[in-house]
Amino acid sequence: MSLPREVVAPPEPVLGAGRVLASAAVRGGAFVFVSGLTAVDPATGEAIRGTTASETQRILENLELILEAAGSSLERVVKVNVLVHSMLEAPNMNEIYARFFPEPPPARTVCGARLPDGVKVMIECTALSDGDR
Amino acid sequence: MRELIPAPLPGLDLRRHYGHFQSPAIRAGGLIFCSGMIPVDPHTGERLHGTLTSEAHVIFGNLKLLLESAGSSLDRLVQVHALIYDSIEYDVLNRVYRQYVANGPPARTVWSAQIEAAFKIQLDVVAAA
Repeated sequence: MSLPREVVAPPEPVLGAGRVLASAAVRGGAFVFVSGLTAVDPATGEAIRGTTASETQRILENLELILEAAGSSLERVVKVNVLVHSMLEAPNMNEIYARFFPEPPPARTVCGARLPDGVKVMIECTALSDGDR
Repeated sequence: MRELIPAPLPGLDLRRHYGHFQSPAIRAGGLIFCSGMIPVDPHTGERLHGTLTSEAHVIFGNLKLLLESAGSSLDRLVQVHALIYDSIEYDVLNRVYRQYVANGPPARTVWSAQIEAAFKIQLDVVAAA
């Protein structure tokens, strides 16, 4: 049996802009896999560089849009990987992060990594696809 | 279905001890997604800093507890991300790693990253439920 694999068009075209080699999200099997997101303005597609907290806020707002376009939602996220430019900033990310996800929160891994172009936070996730809570 | 897998022992609840906004693991779609495992005492949550080898033994012990409490086991791992503080320790990682994945090892990726609280290793795994 072959399961469907479907590229999910982002809700605002700009959320997929510049993604030549990666789709914002792909649905496969029971899951939606979302690319590592950095902070962009959903109206213009322009990169936003701010604090770790403000970038986290913007990324998770955009993530919610992308998941909903994929027929999923923040409630159905099962695993999140967060890359921060310094682990000293992890608490600043965590404080904003906690406002977005309902109980029980997804499994998560946070690590410090060198990120491109002065990005302070990058967040990728796996969520259950539609029809299944 | 998306189902919380609670900490099998109080020390493994990193949210309670360290405020990390995360569940120990989530079961969904026939898989178990575990949060990044760090070397803590499974009873008290105390951080157990040591060598990469000693930290890895603690993590695998905790992972065994967590997976078995969810009806899975180390033999059912499908994917492992091993984050280490310095790639110079790659061979050290492998020496301890092979003791835990004797039969049909899971898919694995290793890279170096900055790990919380200056730990030397963190394991991020997915297992079959």
